[in-house]
Amino acid sequence: MIIALILLLLTLLGAPLFSIIGGSALWGFHSEGIDLQVVTIEVYRLAEMPILLAIPLFTFAGYLLGESQAPARMVRMAHALLGWMPGGLAIVALTACALFTAFTGASGVTIVALGALLYPALQQAGYPERFNLGLITTSGSLGLLFAPSLPLILYGVIAQQSSLDTPVNIDDLFLAGILPGLLMVVLLSGWSMWKQPKGQISTKFNSQEILSSIKESIWEIPLPIIVLGGIYGGYIAVSEAAAVTAVYVLIVEVFIKREVKIRQLPEVIRESMVLVGAIILILGVSLASTNYMIDAEIPTKLFHSIRSFIDSKWTFLIALNAFLLVLGMMLDIFSALIIIIPIILPIAAGYGIHPVHLGIVFLANMQLGYFTPPVGMNLFIASYRFNKPVMELYIATLPFFFILLFAVLLITYLPSLSLVFLSL
Amino acid sequence: MLHKSVRVLHNIEDALLVLILLSMVTLAFSQIVMRNFLGTGSIWLDPLLRVLVLWVGLLGALVATRQNKQITVDVLTRFLSPRLKTISDIITRTFASIISAIIAWHSFLFLIDEWNSGVMAFASVPAWLPESIIPFGFSIIALRYAIQVIALIGNGFNPSYGENGDSEQ
Repeated sequence: MIIALILLLLTLLGAPLFSIIGGSALWGFHSEGIDLQVVTIEVYRLAEMPILLAIPLFTFAGYLLGESQAPARMVRMAHALLGWMPGGLAIVALTACALFTAFTGASGVTIVALGALLYPALQQAGYPERFNLGLITTSGSLGLLFAPSLPLILYGVIAQQSSLDTPVNIDDLFLAGILPGLLMVVLLSGWSMWKQPKGQISTKFNSQEILSSIKESIWEIPLPIIVLGGIYGGYIAVSEAAAVTAVYVLIVEVFIKREVKIRQLPEVIRESMVLVGAIILILGVSLASTNYMIDAEIPTKLFHSIRSFIDSKWTFLIALNAFLLVLGMMLDIFSALIIIIPIILPIAAGYGIHPVHLGIVFLANMQLGYFTPPVGMNLFIASYRFNKPVMELYIATLPFFFILLFAVLLITYLPSLSLVFLSL
Repeated sequence: MLHKSVRVLHNIEDALLVLILLSMVTLAFSQIVMRNFLGTGSIWLDPLLRVLVLWVGLLGALVATRQNKQITVDVLTRFLSPRLKTISDIITRTFASIISAIIAWHSFLFLIDEWNSGVMAFASVPAWLPESIIPFGFSIIALRYAIQVIALIGNGFNPSYGENGDSEQ
């Protein structure tokens, strides 16, 4: 108990999360009298999970895309295709951000890469500044539920470790995310149409511009088709899709478009692998702590004590929503997944919640956490990027927060939204 | 002199990251091509790729430590005064250094056992070789945090130290 309090205090003081998790695993094994060499064996299990290959490859491809002019071309094309509709430009922003986040894994890259393009464009179209700020900050985590986003893959990896009765298939997660993700995009688009500045003439439909913008993006257009078609069609496995994406992006941006110079590559690789390393390190030590927890039957004990005052699945889901909302404010999505899923998954399974549904609920909640005051990560990234006080961003994102909160509640209480495409 | 050798170490880490990642991309892609178009495929390529994930991950973690980019919970520290922030940095980094050192030490003992037992990982690669990154990685992480703590104390609790990622110690 005292150890737990000390670890909690160290966490709040900003100790690296891997040291907290590693420390708790070491302490757990030590107090059970197990040789601490076991931690090495657990960390080495990182080299026994084929799916993990997808993480460095997708992250590298995402950073490379962010470094090239692909985001600018994508915005131009989306603008040509959708800009003439009511609320068109805002819908452009939402769509472009969702697609970009799905491929780059919601690490804050979206706001940095796309924000600079979309913010002035929205301003010019006459949207109020506060709306623009809110829209872009919110969009920074939109697309989390679409394949091949990193958090979705990571959830699958972790769920596969916890030996449930219902196995979690990553392809199923990709299918499950489609409708909930679309729901969020549609609700936000509706709000943007409503907020469309009155008397403003939106961009005219221009087939010339559509053609030339498509021509400009001709190399990037096949990418989502290959990756999503390949995965959803069952032609390639997720880690293979990651390899294809990495090779494709490397060839297009470095050798064909030449927008990323070869001498920039080491920098891009290093920066992307720093993120991968930070995630993999936590994952490695948490394999040890998870194994200890399962041995000590901690989730089962927790389930029984929760069971004594929450008896229905629905009450549990309400409590879960509230808990995840708070969690999302404090932890970034990757550490939240790695730390909390091994505990929550068996408990939720006890209440009869499908593990794939739980994954979508978890990620949807975390997406909200990205811009929940006071400490949502994207609030700070946007504040830094657009040079606005964080307080202003709190206010700007508020309506968007309530819209997405509504979406999260729908996703939570209508499991079929997530499970409809799965062959159960 | 010391400064120079630290820089050399950083360059080696960066070069290894680049080398490993590019080989992963190439190997993973050629495996797909071989499997789908040539109907062959190498048995040792898959285990090799999985080991490279571990290596790129731990090497990335080394660099993350040096750039001060390990994942932390940022709730309280944002609101601390610079001086309190430095004190909490000293406490938490000492802790991280100790934990990493314990893991490094026990991994090292494990490695010696593996060496003596002569177990093979795959093909004719002995198991200790792919595993060696674990004690190596955690030792460097432990060392880096220790050096950061010493520097923080040595700088007379100067809060400006370690604020930006480029101070790379």
